[in-house]
Amino acid sequence: MKQDAFSKLHPAVNLLFFIGAIAFGVLLQHPVYLLAGIFASGLYYLLLNGRNGIKNILLMIPLFIFVTLFNPIVNTRGVTVLFTYLDRPYTLEALVYGVAVAATFVLMIIWFGCYGKVLTGDKFTCLFGNLAPSLSLLLVMVFRMIPNLLQKAKQIIGARSSIGKGTDEKSSFKDKLNSGMTVIGVLTSWALEGSITTSDSMRSRGYGTSKRTSFTVYRMTKTDWISAFVMFALLGIVIFFAANGGMNAEFLPERNIAPINSKNITGFIAYLGYLMIPTILNVKEVIRWKISKSKI
Amino acid sequence: MENFKIENLSFSYPTSKDKKSLDNVSLKIEKGEYIVLCGKSGSGKTTLLRHLKTVLTPHGKRTGEIYFNGASLKDVDSRTQSAKIGYVMQNPDDQIVTDKVWHELAFGLESLGCDQKTMRSRVAEMACYFGIQDWFHRDVAVLSGGQKQLLNLASIMAMQPEVLILDEPTSQLDPIAASDFLNTVRKINTELGTTVIITEHRLEDIFPYADRAIVMDSGKIIADDTPRNIGKLLFEQNNPMFTAMPTPVRVFYNANGNGNCPLTVREGRAWLNKEFETEPEIKEIPYQNIDDDIEKPALSLKELWFRYEKDTPDILRGVSLEVPSGTISAIVGGNGAGKSTTLKAICGICKPYRGKIKVLGKPVNKFKSGELFRNCVSMLPQDPKSLFVKSKVFDELSEMTKDKNRINEIAEICQITDLMNNHPYDLSGGEQQRVALAKVLLTEPKILLLDEPTKGMDSFFKETFATVLNKLKRQGITILMVSHDVEFCAKYADRVSMFFDGQVLTTDAPQEFFGSNSFYTTAANRMSKHIFKNAVTAENVVELYRKNKGGAQ
Repeated sequence: MKQDAFSKLHPAVNLLFFIGAIAFGVLLQHPVYLLAGIFASGLYYLLLNGRNGIKNILLMIPLFIFVTLFNPIVNTRGVTVLFTYLDRPYTLEALVYGVAVAATFVLMIIWFGCYGKVLTGDKFTCLFGNLAPSLSLLLVMVFRMIPNLLQKAKQIIGARSSIGKGTDEKSSFKDKLNSGMTVIGVLTSWALEGSITTSDSMRSRGYGTSKRTSFTVYRMTKTDWISAFVMFALLGIVIFFAANGGMNAEFLPERNIAPINSKNITGFIAYLGYLMIPTILNVKEVIRWKISKSKI
Repeated sequence: MENFKIENLSFSYPTSKDKKSLDNVSLKIEKGEYIVLCGKSGSGKTTLLRHLKTVLTPHGKRTGEIYFNGASLKDVDSRTQSAKIGYVMQNPDDQIVTDKVWHELAFGLESLGCDQKTMRSRVAEMACYFGIQDWFHRDVAVLSGGQKQLLNLASIMAMQPEVLILDEPTSQLDPIAASDFLNTVRKINTELGTTVIITEHRLEDIFPYADRAIVMDSGKIIADDTPRNIGKLLFEQNNPMFTAMPTPVRVFYNANGNGNCPLTVREGRAWLNKEFETEPEIKEIPYQNIDDDIEKPALSLKELWFRYEKDTPDILRGVSLEVPSGTISAIVGGNGAGKSTTLKAICGICKPYRGKIKVLGKPVNKFKSGELFRNCVSMLPQDPKSLFVKSKVFDELSEMTKDKNRINEIAEICQITDLMNNHPYDLSGGEQQRVALAKVLLTEPKILLLDEPTKGMDSFFKETFATVLNKLKRQGITILMVSHDVEFCAKYADRVSMFFDGQVLTTDAPQEFFGSNSFYTTAANRMSKHIFKNAVTAENVVELYRKNKGGAQ
C-alpha cells in the first residue's frame, strides 16, 4: 500500500489541514480565493489518484455548469436582468453568484475526495479512539461489514445462478425483485450467524472486562509538529486579513468584490501556501529522493 | 501441576430432552501438554472445549466441576480467563473484529486496558514471531484464509495465554495453509510451553506430535492414551474413528503388520523397508489408464482465457479439458490457481474473453436463458450456506421442485431424510454439504460440478459423501470436482487433472497421476513409493502388502 507524503503525517495533522481547507473553502466566496482552492485541491487530487483522477475532475465541469445556470432560476435577486421567463427575471448577478456557488460546491467535492483517500477508517478511529473507544470500535466493525456483505451477496448470487435460480436481462421485474429479496434475506441470516461468532470472539478476548484503551500505530514526529505549526501560522495570517475585509465578496443584490492589492496580497499568498502544503510535501519528497539517489 | 481438572462433568442442551452432550467426563490436563481431541462430528468435542472458558460455555443443565490452575473455573474472574485461556474457533472470517491487521493484533490488549507502551512491544513481538510484518498494515479483507487464521492465533497469543484451545482451526483452510498453521501451533507448544488442546479432522499433521489423544463418542471419553496406543485401541474396537487415523496407522493395522506401529510417513517407510528386505514380487496395482480420445465428451473446454479486471493478470490461460460422461473427474492444484474460476466459467458466472465451452456437444452461448441449468449443468458451491434461503431443510428442497416423491428420493440418496425439519444453519458442515447437494441434484443435472466438496468434512462424512457420488455416477451423471483433497481424489476419482499456471497440464488415472508424482501426492504413496510402484491409497498399500505376504502368513 503506497501512501503519499502528506498521508504519512499524523492523522491529527491531516485532520487539521482538512478542517482548515474545507472551512475556508466554504467561508471565502472571493473568486480569486475560490480559484486558488480549486487549483490546489485539483492538483492534490490528481497526485493522490493518478490518471484515474482525471476522469473525476472532468466530471466536475458539467456539474459546475449546471449549478451555475440553475442558481438564477431559484434566486431572482440582482439588478441587471438578462431576460425574463414565466414572469421571473434571470439576473446577471444571480448568474455570477451561481458561478461562486458552483465553485464552492465543486471545491467541497474535490476536498472530500482527498479527505477520503487520506483519512482512512483506521486513521479516523485512531483520532477518536481514545475519546470514545466503544463508539470507534463500532465504526470500525461497520467499515468491515459493508465490503464483507457485498462480497457475500456476490457469492450468493453466483451460487444461485449456477443452480438455475439466477436472473438475467430477460427476467421480469417481479422475478428480479423476488430474487433480490431472497438474497437480502440470506445475507441477513448469514450476518446474524456470523455476528454470534464475532461476539464470542470479542468476549473471549476480554471485551468488556476492563476499560478499553486504544492502540495506535501513529506517533507525532518532528515533521508532524513542524507541519502543524506552519499550518497554524498560515491560518492565523489568513484569518487576520479576512477580518480586515481583504477577502470580502458580495454578489447580491450588487456585485462588490474586494480587489487584491499590495495591502492584502499577503493574505492570499498565505491561503494558497496553506492549501498547497500536501502538494509541496510530495514534491519535496520527490526532490529529496532524487538527490539522495544521485549521491549513491 | 495441572492446568485443567475436569471432574464428572455432564451437560445437556435445553433443547435436547434427555440426550447428554457430555456424559460424566473426567479429565486432567497438565501444563505444557499437547492434547488432540478426536471424535466424529457431534460427539461433544466442541461442547467440552467451550466449557473450558466461562464466557463461551453454552446454556443448559450441568453437573460436575472444572478447575483451572487449582481454582474452580467459575471463581476465576473473566479478565484472568480472557488473558490466560486463548480460544481459536473454526471460521477464520467471523472471528476477526476490526478492519486492519495491526488493530486486530491489539484487540485483546485494548480490551484488557493495556497502555500504549506495552501494546506496542507485544504487538511488535507477535508480528515478528508469526511472520506478519509484511502484511501488518493491510486490510483484513485482502488476506487469504490461512493468513486470517494465523492472525486470529497471533492476536490471542499477544495476550500471553497459558492454555491455547483450538476448535477445528483448519477446517476452512487448504492443506498447505492448514499444515503451516498446525506447525505454528506446534512451535508455540514446544518453544513457549503453552498448553495446547486441539480438535482436528486432519490428524495426519498433528497426531504424531501429540502427547495424548483423547477420543470422544456420544459425549463420553472412550479413550485417553498416547497416540500410538490409541491407534491400536480404535482398530481393536473396530471404531469408525479409525478411518480418521493417519495413513501409516491405517495401513499398519489393516495389513496386520508386525513390529511397532508407524505414525509418520518417515516411520512408515522404515517399517515397510523392514518388512520387505527383499524386493516384493508384485509391485503394481492393476489399473486401467484413461483413453485420451473421448467420444462425445459431456463437457469440453477449449483454450479458455479469462481475467477478472481489464488490468489484472489472466487467471485462466488457455484451459482445455474434456470430461467423458458418466465419470468422476477431479481437478487438483494450488490455491488461487484458477480451479474454481474454471467451474464458474462453465456456469457462466465468469465470461472468458476467448475460448469455447461445449456442454453435451452444444456451445454454451447457444443455450437459451436458464436452459443451461435445467436438466443439464448444476454446481455445488464451495460454501454450502450460499445456497440456503429457507428456514427448514424441506422448504429448501421444495424451492427446487413441487414433486414430493422426487424430494424424498433425493433425500434418500443424500442421506438427509432425518434432517428435513432442521434449520439448515443448525447442521454440521458435512450435513450442510449433503443438503446443498440434494438441492443441486433437484435441478436433475446431467453434469454436476463440485467446488471443494470435502472442505470441513470429517473422514467419516467423506466416506458417506463418496458413496453418494458413486451412486450418482452409476445413474449416469457426469461429475467434475475441483479439490485440494488429494487423498479423496486418489480414492474416488476416475480421472485426475493437474491445474497449474492457469492451465490444465496433465490428465491421468489416479494411480498413474499420483504414482508418478513425488511431492504432490498422497501420504500412502509417499510412504510406499520406494517399494510399490503405484499404491496411492491406504487400501492399495494394504492390498499389495497382503498379496506379497499372502504366502507367508
